[in-house]
Amino acid sequence: MSHNATALAQGLTRCHNCGHLSKQTRRPRQCPVCGSHLHARMPHSVQRTTALLLSSYALYIPANIFPIMTVTQLGVTEQHTILGGIIALIDKDMMPIAILVLVASILVPLLKLLGLSLLLLNVHYRWQSNARLWTRMYRVIVFVGRWSMLDIFMISILVAVVDLGGISQVIAGPASTAFAAVVVLTMFAAKSFDPRLIWDNQLE
Amino acid sequence: MARSYDTHPDNYRLEPDYSIMPNRKFNACPECDLLLNQAVPEIGEKALCPRCGYLLYRPRKQSIERTFALSIAGLIIIFPANLLPLIGIRLLGNSHDGTLWSGVAGLFNEGMWAVAALVFMSSILFPLTNIMLSLLISAHLYFNKPNRRLGSWMRWLQHLDEWAMLEVYALGIIVACVKLASTADLKLGFGLYAFVALLLITAMLASSLDSYLFWQRIARLRRHES
Repeated sequence: MSHNATALAQGLTRCHNCGHLSKQTRRPRQCPVCGSHLHARMPHSVQRTTALLLSSYALYIPANIFPIMTVTQLGVTEQHTILGGIIALIDKDMMPIAILVLVASILVPLLKLLGLSLLLLNVHYRWQSNARLWTRMYRVIVFVGRWSMLDIFMISILVAVVDLGGISQVIAGPASTAFAAVVVLTMFAAKSFDPRLIWDNQLE
Repeated sequence: MARSYDTHPDNYRLEPDYSIMPNRKFNACPECDLLLNQAVPEIGEKALCPRCGYLLYRPRKQSIERTFALSIAGLIIIFPANLLPLIGIRLLGNSHDGTLWSGVAGLFNEGMWAVAALVFMSSILFPLTNIMLSLLISAHLYFNKPNRRLGSWMRWLQHLDEWAMLEVYALGIIVACVKLASTADLKLGFGLYAFVALLLITAMLASSLDSYLFWQRIARLRRHES
């Protein structure tokens, strides 16, 4: 496949909203079909992704250190971190649910952070192999991102349901804000990464 | 480090070397930018990018009609799903019910306004706007009514789609139920059944909406108008 087989090399830009192909012009212009601003590649894709990713790394630390919820039951108050909640589930012999929460709230955010970092390194150092595999990894990262919200939604339901005054109560902890921010920022980071940059660097 | 393509002057000096007219005969892969002939798969088939494997296009059966019908159904069922109790607990003679809305209010009252706003948007606001936008767009296309806002509605729909997370919320309900079942008596409210119905409807809505067809019809309506 020759290198000028891309739309960019042929002077064409695909609208990222409606998919219409337009000729490139000297000046930035709008899509004739839907009116979106046209960009051959997402503007400042690498810078934006890097910035969002660094913020997520920073917030990932408080998200795991501080308690994500405080459970009061019959006067006894317990504080759970994300990891602590999973250990509590294992102690109660609820392995499948423990694995589910482990995947959604620890493995997925971690793999997303590492995966996006690798994608940025790939683009920066112009790694030459397996562009198809890297693109597939990008797709997985985009797909799994939202599932990390599981823990936040679970806390929201517990807060709504377990509200019996002194008998039993669940209160969200400071880590929940940090964790929610990690999920949202990594979703934005994945969205601002342009996978076409991987293919632009392939020398054929 | 980064190379910004749309600001680099070299990219605008490239002359198209053969007579490619930007029309509907050509398409570019959104994930690897390979220039392709526009594939026209039959219903039940799909078009994949030969270079990166991206799913370019999978046409849907009766897309506009189904989207129209499902968005009406969704708009009806979203109200009981939001307002009726999802699950309740009974503990030592006390009972308490929780709705989608009371979780948001509870978080807000505890001072977690950022988390409350996020939960509100991803479980109530964005599912509702998605259904409303699908209804508006499919109704306009179904009755062939041109509207200059159709394009921007479609853009909003495509961007908000990712942020409506009902299926993740459903998984959250399951995990919360398992956690609660060991300490208290659980009762499932009518709102939960409405929520499951809403979940199925939004999933069917997402798969029935054929964005390629929708954009084509929007462009055609626009041409008729002008």
